[in-house]
Amino acid sequence: MKKILLLLLAVSCWLFVSAQNDFELANTAYAEGRYQEASAMYENLLMEQQNATLYYNNGNAYFKQGELAQAILNYERALRLEPNHKDAKFNLAFAQTKITDNIVEQDFFLSVWAKSIRDLMSENTWTILSILLFIGCLAGILGFLLSREPKARKASFHAAWIALLFCIVTGLNARSVHQRETLRDEAIITQGIVNAKSSPDNSGTDLFTLHEGTKVTIRETLSGWVNVKVGQNEGWIPSKDLEKI
Amino acid sequence: MKRLITIIVCIGIALNVLADDVVFSASAPKQAIVGKPFQMSFTLNHQGTNLRAPQFTDFDVLSGPYSSTSSSTSFINGQRTSRFEQTFTYTLMAQRAGTFTIGPATIKVNGKEVQSNGVRIEVLPEDKTPQNTGNSGQNANRQQSNLGGELFVRTIVSKTKVHEQEAVALTYRLYFANVEGVQPTQNIQLPEFTGFLKQELEQENNQAELEHYNGRNYQAIDLIKYVLFPQHSGDIVIEPASFEFITQVRVQQRVRSIFDDFFDSYTNVPRSAKAPAVTIHVESLPKGKPAGFSGGVGSFTLTPSVSKTEMSVNDAFTYKLTIAGSGNMKLLKNPAIDWPEGFEAYDPQVNNNYSITSSGFKGSKTIEYPVIVRNAGEYTVPAVHFSYFDTKENSYKTLSTPEYTIHVARGANTVTPTDNEQLPTVTTYTQKEDIKQLGSDIRYIDVNGNWQKKKSKPFIEYGSAEYWLCYLLPLGIATLLLIVLRKRIKENADRTRVRYKHANKVAQKRLKAAAAALKANDKDAFYAEIERAAWTYLSDRLSIPTADLNKENITSILTQKHVSEQRIAEVMNVLSTAEFARYAPSTDHAMEDLYKATTELINNLEDEKL
Repeated sequence: MKKILLLLLAVSCWLFVSAQNDFELANTAYAEGRYQEASAMYENLLMEQQNATLYYNNGNAYFKQGELAQAILNYERALRLEPNHKDAKFNLAFAQTKITDNIVEQDFFLSVWAKSIRDLMSENTWTILSILLFIGCLAGILGFLLSREPKARKASFHAAWIALLFCIVTGLNARSVHQRETLRDEAIITQGIVNAKSSPDNSGTDLFTLHEGTKVTIRETLSGWVNVKVGQNEGWIPSKDLEKI
Repeated sequence: MKRLITIIVCIGIALNVLADDVVFSASAPKQAIVGKPFQMSFTLNHQGTNLRAPQFTDFDVLSGPYSSTSSSTSFINGQRTSRFEQTFTYTLMAQRAGTFTIGPATIKVNGKEVQSNGVRIEVLPEDKTPQNTGNSGQNANRQQSNLGGELFVRTIVSKTKVHEQEAVALTYRLYFANVEGVQPTQNIQLPEFTGFLKQELEQENNQAELEHYNGRNYQAIDLIKYVLFPQHSGDIVIEPASFEFITQVRVQQRVRSIFDDFFDSYTNVPRSAKAPAVTIHVESLPKGKPAGFSGGVGSFTLTPSVSKTEMSVNDAFTYKLTIAGSGNMKLLKNPAIDWPEGFEAYDPQVNNNYSITSSGFKGSKTIEYPVIVRNAGEYTVPAVHFSYFDTKENSYKTLSTPEYTIHVARGANTVTPTDNEQLPTVTTYTQKEDIKQLGSDIRYIDVNGNWQKKKSKPFIEYGSAEYWLCYLLPLGIATLLLIVLRKRIKENADRTRVRYKHANKVAQKRLKAAAAALKANDKDAFYAEIERAAWTYLSDRLSIPTADLNKENITSILTQKHVSEQRIAEVMNVLSTAEFARYAPSTDHAMEDLYKATTELINNLEDEKL
């Protein structure tokens, strides 16, 4: 009986250690320049759970192998989970200088600000904030209607509309974060060169050419073909040539 | 023992010598004429015995075999060379015209049988007309002169009806009979050959031979040979060409000596001959040229090859097309290849390996396209189509190559920034502008990161029922509260609104009363009404109870409300005048002024936002 217990203990210890080891082994492989091995190990760990650190490390391992598309894909995935991952941002920007397509998505500065504010907090925080503000807004309305004091009425009136405004803003942020995490409407081109067609079949006219590593927005999917939007261009490309972020 | 070896070696050498050197050959003229004797000889470079001649069927053996031997020895640089020849000569005469083969003869040399080669002889028919009568009138080409026999030049074309670009062989052939010492001169006038691409044929082994033409046997020799490629359709006339020759004519001398028979004297006599014009009917190529028509006319084959199909990014490979066959090789266009995106194809290298023959250019043409692939992936080099007009089958033909699949791996040539030092050629083919150099390398992996952190589950899923409930619940509570407290809300709203809205009305009422008092000259009542009108109006407008208002705080309240100082002064003026005038003697005039001032003030304050 004792023996069995000991054995179980040993096995559980080993299991824990082995999981811990996988990550460290992968890191060691990376440090020693065995990038292919490292990325295989990271991929294995990622099968079990999605994690920004793993994606980031995996992206690095692919970058060192020269697999730009896979590297960018992994950085983007890390950023999807942790939008403020500084190293992933830096390496993604670095990898993007190496790809062929020069698609400068010149976002309007307000939307850049909005995005950076959005990424400050998680969906949870935004939702809770929004609900609290909504309650504050209702309290303001009540205060305005119920109080007799003109000063109090005025204060609560202003409080109410300000709270309502922020409630909407935070609510939209929560929605945006939610979409970023669940919609997955962006993808990376993995094939060296892809010609976007005018229709979802091979006979379609070639509209424009995309190179590996370029980020596209998926608009529609149809029997093995995907309608993508890049900058101002729209076209159909085979779904095997890209991978969703 | 030693002896035996020596003998064996000697015999070996002797045998070797024999085996190597024995040559037994038959020789005869290429052409013969029926009824005219000619000689055929077999030559052996050793002493031979027991000659067995072939069966001379179709030929009469007039005499022979005569055997003769000759030998010569020469020393060159101290080296002795000796030659020995034994010749057997037959005199033969053909029985009938045609082409005949005389089989090999055999002879024994040192007990070994040696065989000669066989010989082909073309036997021409006899001359129909007597040899020495010229001007037979049969052929205008013939130029007969008193000075000798016949001499003329024919224009021989291989075809008179051809397609555009199809090769035509043109030969100027000189015929002569009974003319001695014919020498061509440089004095040749050739036509322009307009409408043709002209290519001169090199002539080999150009010797006069017998040819039977128009019932006569002539010595014939090719003067010039051309291959012509017609460049347009229609009847193209090749103008006559003229040639000049020098012939030798025996001079008959008056004084005959006994030497005359041995030493004939000759004079050179120039003679000219004109080759007639020829018309070539050129048909245009039929309609329906294929799209990728190369301009080729003839018959061709197309062989493609690719140096490799597996490579790394930035590797080069060669796509080779070999066009072989015969036709107008020189004018073939290089087939255009529709390279996939990302292929950098350079100008093809063309290697011509053809030569001109009487049926056109013959040989092959290789076209090598050097290509560099810049991106990884799997590519298909599309089929290359090469169309030409087949002159044998009178139709267009299209040759196609198979498609090639090229697999390009992201190989060592792809630049990974860390390996810059290892790679001598840094080839980042990202031709872009506006790129900020962010650094020399990516940042290192996150070793201490929380790699087991799970994605935080949302507290409330966005868009779910719970989510909306979180909004609806407070909204419901608030609504409930409002319904419960609606009476108070209504009162609140009424009070504020009524007081505010009716401030003017109330003030007007008071002012009316004041006006009545003014008429009645009731001084006390008038000032009281004016004062009350001012205070109630201010109280209503400011939503401050009258009890809380006094002359001391009214200034600060109005200043807070951003009422102008002038207006505040007016207010203060009205208030103090009304207060003090009640107890001071005053005139109607003063009362009237105050009434006006008050009315004005209320009107002005009505426009102000309080």
